[in-house]
Amino acid sequence: MKLGDLLYETWYALAANKGRSFLTILGIVIGISAVIAMTSLIGGIQNTLMGELGFAQARQVAISVNAPQGITFDDLDALEQMMPDYEFITGSTQIGTSVGTGTTTVENATIFCAKPEYFIANGSNLESGRLFTESEEKNGARYAVIDQNSVKEVFGSVDAQAVGQTIHIGNDDYQIIGVLQSSTLVSYGTMIYVPYSTAVQRLGVTDGYLQITGFVREGADIESVVATTTSTVARYFGLAGEDDVYVFSFDSIIKEMETTMASFSLLMGSVASISLFVGGVGIMNMMLTNVTERIREIGLRKSLGARRRDITKQFLLEAIMLCVMGGVIGIVMGLLGAWGLGAAVGAMQPGMTVVPAISLPVILGAVGVCVLIGVVFGYYPARRAAKLDPVESLRYQ
Amino acid sequence: MALVLEARDIHKIYEGASGLTHALRGVSFSVEQGEFLAIMGPSGSGKSTLMNILGCLDTPTTGSYFLEGVDVAAYNEDELAEIRATRIGFVFQSFNLLPRSTVLRNAMMPLMYTACPKKERAERARSALRSVYLDEALFDHRSNELSGGQMQRVAIARALVNDPALILADEPTGNLDTATGEMVLATFKGLRDQGKTIVLITHEPDVAAHADRAIHIRDGKLAGKDCPVHTRDTDPMPASVGHDSIAGPGASPCGQAGHQRGGVR
Repeated sequence: MKLGDLLYETWYALAANKGRSFLTILGIVIGISAVIAMTSLIGGIQNTLMGELGFAQARQVAISVNAPQGITFDDLDALEQMMPDYEFITGSTQIGTSVGTGTTTVENATIFCAKPEYFIANGSNLESGRLFTESEEKNGARYAVIDQNSVKEVFGSVDAQAVGQTIHIGNDDYQIIGVLQSSTLVSYGTMIYVPYSTAVQRLGVTDGYLQITGFVREGADIESVVATTTSTVARYFGLAGEDDVYVFSFDSIIKEMETTMASFSLLMGSVASISLFVGGVGIMNMMLTNVTERIREIGLRKSLGARRRDITKQFLLEAIMLCVMGGVIGIVMGLLGAWGLGAAVGAMQPGMTVVPAISLPVILGAVGVCVLIGVVFGYYPARRAAKLDPVESLRYQ
Repeated sequence: MALVLEARDIHKIYEGASGLTHALRGVSFSVEQGEFLAIMGPSGSGKSTLMNILGCLDTPTTGSYFLEGVDVAAYNEDELAEIRATRIGFVFQSFNLLPRSTVLRNAMMPLMYTACPKKERAERARSALRSVYLDEALFDHRSNELSGGQMQRVAIARALVNDPALILADEPTGNLDTATGEMVLATFKGLRDQGKTIVLITHEPDVAAHADRAIHIRDGKLAGKDCPVHTRDTDPMPASVGHDSIAGPGASPCGQAGHQRGGVR
């Protein structure tokens, strides 16, 4: 029997039972669409977060030190000397205050007092305008850089033209010179960045209580850098317990996120495989019914010269086609679902666009799984059909 | 003339819930190329069993069955399927067409199980359908749109399509009214005239009367010498003779006492 004949016969048989065929494949449809929706959504979220973190942020290491004597920029220079794995180490201070434009006031804004290199370590991406320069920082320029979320908070809309506007911080007006893309990973509400020296001069920031951010050299192994940093910093500040030094890298967050996503995928996978198993049993049930209903047809085919393997092939292909059809519908529904959920996530998290990751290997894998289910659950009914006695089958009423 | 089939001392014993059933008890007969033979018998006589063996759907318990000179009695299932696909055409009482397929598709069905190239199939099916005088306009109709007589002619075309050595018809007129049945039987006669070998199983004497020769089976044995119902070369319409031959050995003109059981030619 040629493949073309088999396909025709399969199509003929399935078309004769459209309604029942559809109901039978529902289990497969649901299982596959769940897998596809979840994997593409997770992939999409992962892509979004990674894209946002960028390569730069992966190299960022945050160092918190509980040093009673305080930390100064001189300490940072010394640490930078001691740890050549860092491209640079920079310090920053945060203060909380209210900001306003004259018409609106935002309480509890977080002001980051930093040097320009802080933006590099943070992997910040400019949406519009520019950042302040080193000399502007030294001279205490009254410039501010603001992130997109804050634009929305302060000016009412993400799309508001913020660059060039003035914002009131403390007792002074600052000119907004740049807007940063918002991070969905790290958000402290309204975030405004001002030059460190300006903050010392005008916002009452006292030198010596810095938060340390390091930027690891490209290619260095972050994990070992984190380990040596902990001990080096503890030694430098004369801290006995390593409890007083906490070193934290985005790289570890990324790894942690990957593990979380993987275990989530595994969970979804097991739920989906239960659905697929149940779907497969449904297919088997329908195929057995099918065989019983078509005993006379089987007898006829045998009398016309069909061998056992022709009958096996025919019924096996029917089961496979059912499963693959279920799989294809499931893939389409899963992708649509992922787009819908992605849009929902985007609506809940402003500034976060989740584009479902459509992965060809996953889709091919899903089709492969469907073929496998068809073979596994279709084989027994097909063999049963093939083993029917032609004489008995022709006599069957 | 060449023998198309020859049965030699065929026995068939079934093992059933009620013990052993001896369905055929030594059946021997033969059929020549181009012959139209009727096998008659009441229900339970073993004629269905015989037909299944002749059609290679089943094998005899003992005995030999030569089809075109080859003993197929010991063939395995796949080999029998091969024989059915290429050398035997079946016509059933209930037509057994695929209802939602077209007439042409139905007629082509057996070719699916042969090596016949796809291109040739439709052409062969068309010519088979033409040879049973089916209107060409019906070729693309679904088979369930046809009348009973048309359906049975499609079934005959399906039996013909692989140019078999033997056409086996099991009560082909059983589901048809008399007039339509006559038409179908006329179709068989036409095929016989084209040199096809036909074996028809029936319990109706009127139907058997259309055959060249009839053999009777009763209790698993051939009852009475098989006898030519008529000589078709000289007398094409001797229906009354056929009737007699069915009534039993005593009443048949060639059913004289002392005849051998199971004709050997």
